[in-house]
Amino acid sequence: MITRVLVANRGEIAVRIMRACDELGIDTVAVYSDADAHAPHVRAARHAVRLGPASPSESYLAIGALIDAARTTGADAVHPGYGFLAENAGFAAACQDAGLVFVGPPAEAIAAMGSKIAARRAMQQAGVPVVPGETPADQSDASLVAAAGRAGYPLLVKASAGGGGKGMRIVRGEGELAVAIAGARHEARAAFGDDTLYVERLVPHPRHVEIQVLSDHHGHVVHLFERDCSTQRRHQKVIEESPSPALTPGLRARMGEAAVAAARAVGYRNAGTVEFLLEGAGDEARFYFLEMNTRLQVEHPVTEAVTGVDLVQAQLRVAGGFPLPWRQDDLQQRGHAIECRVYAEDPASGFLPQAGRILLYRAPQRPGIRVDAGVESGSDVSVHYDPMIAKLIAHAETRDAAIARAIAALSEFDVLGLATNISFLIGVLDSRPFRHGAIDTAFLDGEGAALIAPAPLPSAALAAAVVHEERTGGAPADGPKRRTPDPWGTLQGWRG
Amino acid sequence: MGRAGRFVVRQDEASTLVEVLADGRVRVGDAPDPFTVTAAGEGQYLVSDGSRTWRVAVAGSPDARFAGTGGTTARLEIEPEGAAPRTKARRGPGETAAPMPGTVIEIAVEIGQHVSVGDVLITLEAMKMELPIRAPREGTVTAIRCQAGELVQPGVALVDIS
Repeated sequence: MITRVLVANRGEIAVRIMRACDELGIDTVAVYSDADAHAPHVRAARHAVRLGPASPSESYLAIGALIDAARTTGADAVHPGYGFLAENAGFAAACQDAGLVFVGPPAEAIAAMGSKIAARRAMQQAGVPVVPGETPADQSDASLVAAAGRAGYPLLVKASAGGGGKGMRIVRGEGELAVAIAGARHEARAAFGDDTLYVERLVPHPRHVEIQVLSDHHGHVVHLFERDCSTQRRHQKVIEESPSPALTPGLRARMGEAAVAAARAVGYRNAGTVEFLLEGAGDEARFYFLEMNTRLQVEHPVTEAVTGVDLVQAQLRVAGGFPLPWRQDDLQQRGHAIECRVYAEDPASGFLPQAGRILLYRAPQRPGIRVDAGVESGSDVSVHYDPMIAKLIAHAETRDAAIARAIAALSEFDVLGLATNISFLIGVLDSRPFRHGAIDTAFLDGEGAALIAPAPLPSAALAAAVVHEERTGGAPADGPKRRTPDPWGTLQGWRG
Repeated sequence: MGRAGRFVVRQDEASTLVEVLADGRVRVGDAPDPFTVTAAGEGQYLVSDGSRTWRVAVAGSPDARFAGTGGTTARLEIEPEGAAPRTKARRGPGETAAPMPGTVIEIAVEIGQHVSVGDVLITLEAMKMELPIRAPREGTVTAIRCQAGELVQPGVALVDIS
């Protein structure tokens, strides 16, 4: 039984976790850095503890300070959210050692999935498809050619020791292989002092489709279907949706079974996400294990919208030792949900992250719209943390209706004082490839980059409004002012 | 200063003259129809040109107003027409520039002349109105970069002051 949860995070996810706790009658403890003393997540909790200066290493990543805060406030559980320490096996172990329930998987499962090589091996043993590839023990040209034949073309030849693209070659057919092997070997030896090569099939135009899983301490593992996160910019997810436009019922069932097998293979508990690369679409598609995220995902609300399951409440129940209240057959997807991540970044200047004060924050209200935010009017967006300030989730009966609903809501989303990607999000949703569901993970970095072009601005109407505001004095529109430091925020070391 | 009827609104390099009419409607630049502006809650206005209506959110202070509609936003500066440019805002080559495209109708100074803050340097005609360009600071005129009758564009200094 969990009675008081320390939320080891900040921003929208801390607020969201506290809401779930409130509804379950669980007490909450917020932690904060000096930059967040007045943040919404601090007020959303019943208790709050200062961790340290703004820098994450001295606050949200400070394991000792977090454990101390939990002990001092009498918390019996810790929810890590996502990011920060959420996939840190050492933190999960430290919580367990301190007698705190870690709302997440066992430290061993985090560690097992944290190593890409070990995770790949475990998945192969569990029969979960991985991208075909190998590091042949015999590194002769003939052996590498044979390994390439087993992996299939097009493929990547890359340094086994490496990363960062060093020593990596794309090979489209066997004729290009000899040159690629020689070049990759040379570069690998120069960069890493090791010319061992790895060959791996290149998945052309992949989609990123992930499966949500939930596992309790009573041997039950279920999946809650997919989220399609193919709309990414430089590997940063921008828009996620469920169902995926690329899945058929048969493919969905196969991927769900593979995700459950992956979770069982590492003794997984609680909520997790198995990420796959999807090649093709429909029943003929092939999918390959990418990695497992051993935590709650940013994009979990799309799954909540279509399944009706509150994933954070489910996490807390599982962590408290209760069995999952449903079986696989009880779960279904209803309608279509799309999440848009609102970032404080300027599409017009290379998506440069923006720091500064939000003068006006006003989230849209519409049927089927959910907004999870960690800011309000007057909030300062700090350079120290992730620039995501809110998530907007639209749920409707069909994909087209969800797109229309998301665009309408984003058009009413007022964030003034710093640049955001809201107009870019509208541009992506409104683009022909997105509307057709024909997006792969390279879209936004390729042809979709043109969507950065700013939407036409009704400058005259804006000028008329600001002049009216200037002339009438306007209502105070820049939110709560915090020019005077809050006395509570300056009591260093005070613990509530 | 909030009572004056005419304002200059700057967005990026572009300046627009905005006039509040006697009936409260707002004429912007050379748009044919004035806008009707209605307050619609805190920092929120409905702006209509008779055929279309925008819901515009506004926040900030006069030298950095933020306004947005339909997911797009802009940063604007606003000041009463003819006001001396804000000291912090307009130093540098743009400080004696036209706020909008206009025709030079009078050059009121000569090279070598001493000017004080607020002295009229150039008079432009734009949108059927005379628009004085005033000295942003005290100094001596070192160059005049326009001729009477010339159509000048915003963002380019018309007079250099040492």
